[in-house]
Order: sequence, then C-alpha cells, then structure tokens
Amino acid sequence: MKTAAAGAQALPRSALPRAQAAIRAIALNTFREAIRDRVLYLLLVFALALIALSRLLSLLTVGNEEKIIKDVGLSAISLFGVLTSVFVGVSLVFKEIERRTVYTLLANPVRRWQFVTGKFVGLLAVLAMNLSLMSLALFGILWLRGESTWALLPGLVLILVELAVITAFALLFSSITNPILAALMTFAMYVMGHLSWSLMLLKAKLGSSASALACDLVYWVMPNLQRLDIKAAVVHGLPLAPGQFFFALTYGSCYALVVLALACLAFERKDFN
Amino acid sequence: MVRRLGAALLIAALGGVAGYTRGALDDLAQAAGSRDDELLYLPNGKYLSVLSLGHANLLADLFYLWAIQYYSDYERADRRRYVEHVFGSVITELDPHYIDAYWLGALILIVETGDLDAGIRLLDRGTERNPDNWILPYLAGWECYHAKDYDRSVRYFELAATIPGAPTAVRRMKAGLTARMGDEEQALQVWHSILEDPASDELSTKIAQRKVRELQTKVDIRALTRLVERFRTDNGRWPRVLEELVQRSYTRALPRDADDRVYAYDPRTGQVSSPAGRLLGEFGKK
Repeated sequence: MKTAAAGAQALPRSALPRAQAAIRAIALNTFREAIRDRVLYLLLVFALALIALSRLLSLLTVGNEEKIIKDVGLSAISLFGVLTSVFVGVSLVFKEIERRTVYTLLANPVRRWQFVTGKFVGLLAVLAMNLSLMSLALFGILWLRGESTWALLPGLVLILVELAVITAFALLFSSITNPILAALMTFAMYVMGHLSWSLMLLKAKLGSSASALACDLVYWVMPNLQRLDIKAAVVHGLPLAPGQFFFALTYGSCYALVVLALACLAFERKDFN
Repeated sequence: MVRRLGAALLIAALGGVAGYTRGALDDLAQAAGSRDDELLYLPNGKYLSVLSLGHANLLADLFYLWAIQYYSDYERADRRRYVEHVFGSVITELDPHYIDAYWLGALILIVETGDLDAGIRLLDRGTERNPDNWILPYLAGWECYHAKDYDRSVRYFELAATIPGAPTAVRRMKAGLTARMGDEEQALQVWHSILEDPASDELSTKIAQRKVRELQTKVDIRALTRLVERFRTDNGRWPRVLEELVQRSYTRALPRDADDRVYAYDPRTGQVSSPAGRLLGEFGKK
C-alpha cells in the first residue's frame, strides 16, 4: 500500500511551498488510504440506504412528505458524517504508527505539524466527498418530487464545518491516546458540543463566583455545536438572523483550526520510542 | 460427520425452543392487552430535544409517524387518551414549526375525542409559534364554524386574513360569515376590498362582484325602508315617491342599484324593492 511517506518525497526547497507540497502529498495519500477503508463504505452505504428509506417513511405521513425526506436526509448525512470522522479519524494517525510508516515519513523533510495537517485535510476531503454523494442522493429524491433543494445548502455547509471540528478532535485525541479511547473522547466532545448550553443553566443555579467562573470557562472552551445546527431552519425555510450563517461558518472554522493546532502540538511532543 | 449432525441437531433444538418461547411471549402480551397508561410517561419534547443532540426534527418526524399509526388503530381502546400530550407536548415541542402536527393533532382532538377547546388550544399554540402561517388560524376558524361558534370563527378568519400569503378564500370566508351574523355593512366592506384588490384570483373576484351587488341592494333597501318608516311616523302617511325623502330632507340623495337604476317603491304599502322585481341572489340573471 502506498503510504504518506511515499508521497512526501521530492519536495521543493523553499519553506512555504515545501510545507504546502508536503501537506498536499500527505492529504492526497490520506484521501487515497481513507477511500480504501471498508468502514467508510459501510457507513456510506448505510447513509445512502437511510436517505432512500426516507422516501418510504414519507409515505407513512399525513401532510408534508418533503419535510420527512429532508429531516431524515440531513440527519443521516450529519450522523454518518460524524461516525466517519470519529472512526476513520482516530485510526489515521494510529495506523501510521502501528505500521511504523510514520518513522519513514518523518525521516523525510516533513515536519510533524505538516503530517497532522495533511491528515486533517485528507480526511476533510473524504468527508466532503461523502457529504456531496449523500447530498446528491437527497437532492435526487427531492428533485424527482419537483422540490427545490437550494435552501438546504447552508445547512449542508455547516454540517461539513461541524465535521471539521469533530475531525480535528479525532486527530487531537488520536495523537495522545489509543484509538478506542480517542473515539470515545471524540464522541464525548460531540455530545458535550450539543449540550454546552446547559453549562449556562448550571451557572445560573450556582451561587459562588468561583463555580460560575468555572462554568464560564468550560462553556467557552467547549465547542458549541448547537450554533452550527441550522437544519430545522433550512427544512422549514425559516429566515436566518442577519450574519448568522457567516458567524457560524467563521466560528466553526476557527475552532477547528485551533483544535488542529493543538493536535499538531500534541503530535510534536509525542514520543515514538 | 457425527459432530456436524450433533451441531445441526443442537441448532435445530435451540431454534425450536426460541420459536416456542417467542410464541408464548406473544400470547402473554396479547392476553395482557394494551395498557392504557403506556403514554403517561412519554417525556416532554423539551427533554427529548436535549437528548436528540441536534436531531430534534428527526425525532419529531419519528414520533409523528408513530402517532399516525397509533391513533389510526381503531381497535385500540385508549387511543383517545394523551392526544394533546403527544401532539402538543412531545412532537411540537421537538419541532415547534411542524404545522402538520398541529393541524392533525387538532383534528384528532376535535373530531375523534370531541374536545374542541383542546384542539383550538393546539392550533393557538401553533399560531403563536408560527405567526407567519395562516393555515392554523384558518383551520381554527373552520372548526369554530362547524361548532357554530361564529364569533370565534370570524375572529380566526380575520386573523388568518391579515397574515401575508393568505389566499383570498380566507377573506371570502370572513365576509360570508360576517354577513351571516347580520353585519352586512361590514361584510360589504370586505367584499369591496376583495374586489378592489388586484391580487384577488378570478373566482374570488367573480364571487365578490355578485356578493357586492347582492349585499349593496340589501343594505340600500334596508336603509330606504328605515327612512320610509320614519317618514310615515312623522307624517302619518307613506311617501308618494322616494324623491319625497330628499325633498323633506330625510336623506341627501337616493341610492341607485348596481345597474344604476332607482329602486322600485310601492306608495300603497311603503315597500322598497329592487328594480325589475329581481330577487336577491339572482342579480346576475338578465
């Protein structure tokens, strides 16, 4: 199997193009490696089956069938995307270490942060491809029914941003622990990301200023994935608040980059001996 | 060979036991019948929304599909219970914009359980959360209309008619009901507004034209009859001609009908009628 090490050869000499070339080579190999993963296909088939099933489910309803198709389709895209980013994400770095290909790779003029960033970009490309395939399946069903599909696009973009955050966490945790624990911790971040608003409720209940401060701290450190969820709005065709999409896009992207930077730092400090 | 045979026999025996016990369990469940409190502990949608991790809409759809199957099972003795809880506190709490769930829940509550107030409550909640949707107040108007609660019905039609996007049919309902309740002047105003609205559809415009003729004639005849009776009270006789009402300053001018003709008047009886003796509702005929 061709690994990232093979792709990282013959890099340019100057610093920035060399870094870009290294990241591109690793991303490309990660992409190739990930699309050979059976787990990916299994998840993709399940997601496509669920999207197709949404048409059958819609037959059971009374009223608006399109709503059921859109809800089931968007949730399937989001849930299976999360599962892909968790299970494929945590195994990417681990596989390189387990097969010892990481030694060969890092012996090349490739920095550790470039390796992690390349992995992130490669997996994000796989997720984007999967999301596009699942979206096409959903759009196809809706298009056959004469339904407009463009309104769903902002929701799909923010699902991809959410997946970027999850992928960054998967890489961070897989850089510091074993794959099972990393998968559990990544999934925990997903759950906490959707429940972080409850910290504000807890803060309101707590009298002491130290506890309230701790709640605030955890609230701002944890991702708020609810802010990236506009599925209900795009399904019902509700108007978004001015700037909401832009803020959500910026927030999610910046947060993912911060976690990716932490993952790079953690990988820099990792001792392979 | 013996091992394989033994394994096959073991598998067959275990399969048989599993099949038998499954049948016994099914019989026990059937004998126990359905419990009438199985929905009592169904959590409120607010709590389920927390557990859904951003997939509250999907959960609302699944509950909605389940509710359709549950409440359309006519053999279920307890199917009239907890309807308001399922539709009002679970499904529409999970997805407050689920219009279908509001109207279907209201329909089951009103038609199946005969609880008009609960149905209207559900539609009111839907209207409150979806102020841009005219369908829910329109349905509430219809349900009140069927229940002969015309006052409430007019209010709902009035509300629905003010919501942008409401079809002219909603205003038609309001006008028809207002006239039926005896406020013909108000109804006439609504029909005029439909007639003058360039956005009105062709059918509504035609109906409005007919209704304006009909109601205008009724209103005019009623007003003229009142004046004629006042004249008689003051003068001890009926006016000889309608123009006498203008000459004696009972009115500034006499109204003319939709065909721009004066109203017919019988000085022997004081009766005012439409020209050519046409009956109300038949003005379109020549």
